[in-house]
Amino acid sequence: MNLTIALAAVVAITAIAAWLGFSRASRLRGSTRLHSLPVYHGAYAALWAALPALLFLAIWSPVQSQLVTQAVLATPEGRALPAFDMQRESILSEASEIAAGQRDAGFNPESAGLVPRFLEAESRFATIGGGIAILLTLAAAAFALRRTNAQFRARTGVERWLMALLIAASLIAILTTLGIVLSLMFESLRFFKLVPVGDFLFGTQWSPQTALRADQAGSSGAFGSIPLFWGTIFIGAIIAMIVAIPLGLMSAIYLTQYAHPRFRSWMKPILEILAGVPTVVYGYFAALTVAPRVRDLGLSLGMTSASSESALAAGLVMGIMIIPFISSMADDSIAAVPQAMRDGSLAMGATKSETIRRVVLPAALPGVVGGVLLAVSRAIGETMIVVMAAGLAANLTANPFASVTTVTTQIVQLLTGDQEFDSAKTLAAFALGLALFIITLVLNLIALTVVRRYREAYE
Amino acid sequence: MSSAAPTRPRHSSDTRLRKRYAAERRFRFAGLFAVGLSALFLAFLLFDMSWKGLSGFTQYQAAVPIDFPRSDLILDPAALKGGDANDVVAGADLEGVLVKAAVATYGADADELFGTGAIRSLGRQLIRDPELLGRSATLWLPVGSKIDVAAKRDSDAASEKLVEQLQSKHALKRTINKDFLVESDATDPSAVGIWGALKGTFLTILVTIVLAFPVGVLAAVYLEEFATRNRWTDAIEVSINNLAAVPSIIFGLLGLAVFLNVMHLPRSAPLVGGLTLALMTMPVIVIAGRNALTSVPPSIRDAALGVGASKMQVVFHHVLPLALPGILTGTIIGMARALGETAPLLMIGMRAFIAAPPSGITDSATVLPVQIFLWSDEVNRGFVEKTSAAIIVLLLFMLVMNGLAIYLRNRFEQRW
Repeated sequence: MNLTIALAAVVAITAIAAWLGFSRASRLRGSTRLHSLPVYHGAYAALWAALPALLFLAIWSPVQSQLVTQAVLATPEGRALPAFDMQRESILSEASEIAAGQRDAGFNPESAGLVPRFLEAESRFATIGGGIAILLTLAAAAFALRRTNAQFRARTGVERWLMALLIAASLIAILTTLGIVLSLMFESLRFFKLVPVGDFLFGTQWSPQTALRADQAGSSGAFGSIPLFWGTIFIGAIIAMIVAIPLGLMSAIYLTQYAHPRFRSWMKPILEILAGVPTVVYGYFAALTVAPRVRDLGLSLGMTSASSESALAAGLVMGIMIIPFISSMADDSIAAVPQAMRDGSLAMGATKSETIRRVVLPAALPGVVGGVLLAVSRAIGETMIVVMAAGLAANLTANPFASVTTVTTQIVQLLTGDQEFDSAKTLAAFALGLALFIITLVLNLIALTVVRRYREAYE
Repeated sequence: MSSAAPTRPRHSSDTRLRKRYAAERRFRFAGLFAVGLSALFLAFLLFDMSWKGLSGFTQYQAAVPIDFPRSDLILDPAALKGGDANDVVAGADLEGVLVKAAVATYGADADELFGTGAIRSLGRQLIRDPELLGRSATLWLPVGSKIDVAAKRDSDAASEKLVEQLQSKHALKRTINKDFLVESDATDPSAVGIWGALKGTFLTILVTIVLAFPVGVLAAVYLEEFATRNRWTDAIEVSINNLAAVPSIIFGLLGLAVFLNVMHLPRSAPLVGGLTLALMTMPVIVIAGRNALTSVPPSIRDAALGVGASKMQVVFHHVLPLALPGILTGTIIGMARALGETAPLLMIGMRAFIAAPPSGITDSATVLPVQIFLWSDEVNRGFVEKTSAAIIVLLLFMLVMNGLAIYLRNRFEQRW
């Protein structure tokens, strides 16, 4: 027996329980007045039959795979396996994949001998788990069906189950946040055991490749993240914003204050397409079309160090991507400025542009600033454009034609490729991830507070 | 009183006014310029991709006479009629036959005229018509990547010369590249296709939608209709708003740490990709769902409560159906975002070279954006047009999904 059969049995028993509950209540309905409609009696029985058993199966199936592995290791074949962790793991996973029918043969000859042990242990534990699940369904269904009578408040019962489901669904958001924080923290703490926090935060040398050798793991200076954060800020918060803020802000002003409504109704969605283009497309565009031109420009300006992976190319394209964000945030805050302020200024004889520059923009400034902060947070978390168009060399330079690297580029670089999971190199990616998470979180919180407080001011 | 006005020099106020109006015009022009420049960027991006990519949907085919009875090909026509014809063809040395035929017809430089795509095509033609093996025939076969690039754009001198030679003999024609839509990744750009990546995308998005849609809608219903304000619901609300703004790569790290390293789910699988993207998309659906639920007027709830419905019946029988178009619009937009997402999927290992389309959600797979990323890294010039062609397909999908969302919004959304 395997768990799929148990699952099918649970579903079948649930269907039978639902039908029994419904038909019993329908029969009662002929003679007496029911509190709940027969549908609710059926649903009540079905929920009791299905949910506890499904929950049990969901918990059991990962537990089972652990138990199976332990049982296999306890057999003579399992004890004969090499003690070295990596190799043992790979033989075990090969054997379990062969047993599951996902592949025909493994690279390690030992795995073939383990397959029958795996099948044996799997069928034993699946029988236990599946049996418990089916018993649970039967017991719960019997309990629910026994309660079917005219006075029974089946609808209330069903609604209580539904409420539990609603609460469970909304708790997933908290669980995800917790999962992010805990997994990043856990791996980062392991990293900081190898590399001191101070070296990571304040070091100016980033060369994780040298740390591949065991005797160099944790050698000071290899994991200084300052150049990465500088590169991230240089591309995402400086170059991209120099492009995006004027274009986004002026677009928003023109579309809200000057443009004919029909022009606006066409242009706004067109600008929003810019935000919907997948970032991998921008990355390709930046690397293939923009970067060579930027390098040529740099060379013609006499920069001998102009790189084909320049900060300028990545920043320019990222700025284009950000335009619609700034534009729509500015749009909202300009629209929130009371009309009376505008009318007052116009009545004093100010021209439209003077009104916008002296009255509307200062009033809308907090909202615009909040929008810019959100845009910055988005730009520094952006990955594909910089992975494809920015370089890998961790340079501390303010030359836009030179190559810099960013936090997200390095995370991708550190985690793609084949290396063991416990090295300082891979763990560094999680430390960078944690830093990125905290920075974007803080930026978002500040931005949201600014925007909210400003909205309240005019309401 | 009135004598004060004439004493002011009129011309200075005129110049000032002229200056102010000029500033007004400049400002207005700057706004128009910003809008125009942004739109121009978009137009240039789309034009650039189409210009580079449209040729990826076509391929050049060259005619080559092959004398099968005299070739070294050892193939039994009878074996080609059986069910294992594909294996039989794969075992035969079709490449050798092609190289020989090409060199014999077009000279020694033509040894790279054909690539993997031609071998595959020849195998198919043989299976379709095993009698070919008994005679000599002139076949049209897709040319290799180098010649294809030379025929479409410029390339090295030897390839250009070969293309000229072929064209002068009318042995070169341009056809639609059907293989691009039905084949999977390959090392030879003349033989690549996007079907494997598309199927991976469909499976991943399927997992995402199955997980994210119900959970997102239920969470939105709870927060909007039932939750009382307390510390718990505040915490839920804050985490949903923050999750919507967390960089996508962080979700990739979460998927790597939790789904792969703790739960030991299969690497590179659509299951893990879908789970990761579901966590990322769920907050978007919750926020869209809450907005849609708030826009349903309270009178609907009051009326349903008034005729004796329970709170749960009010929500599930009346409010939710009315809010559904808005929720669906938000869901489609969230799905479109997930469809274009690359970074988190790189983290969970969906960047492997996968030459066969996945057959289930636990198979190794890749998705279209990651395929684009992988092809963009290739040095072979033949991949440039394939990458851009794949981008065109991806953008078309985005366009269709966003168009659907706009259609749904206009068609079904009610203004109260």
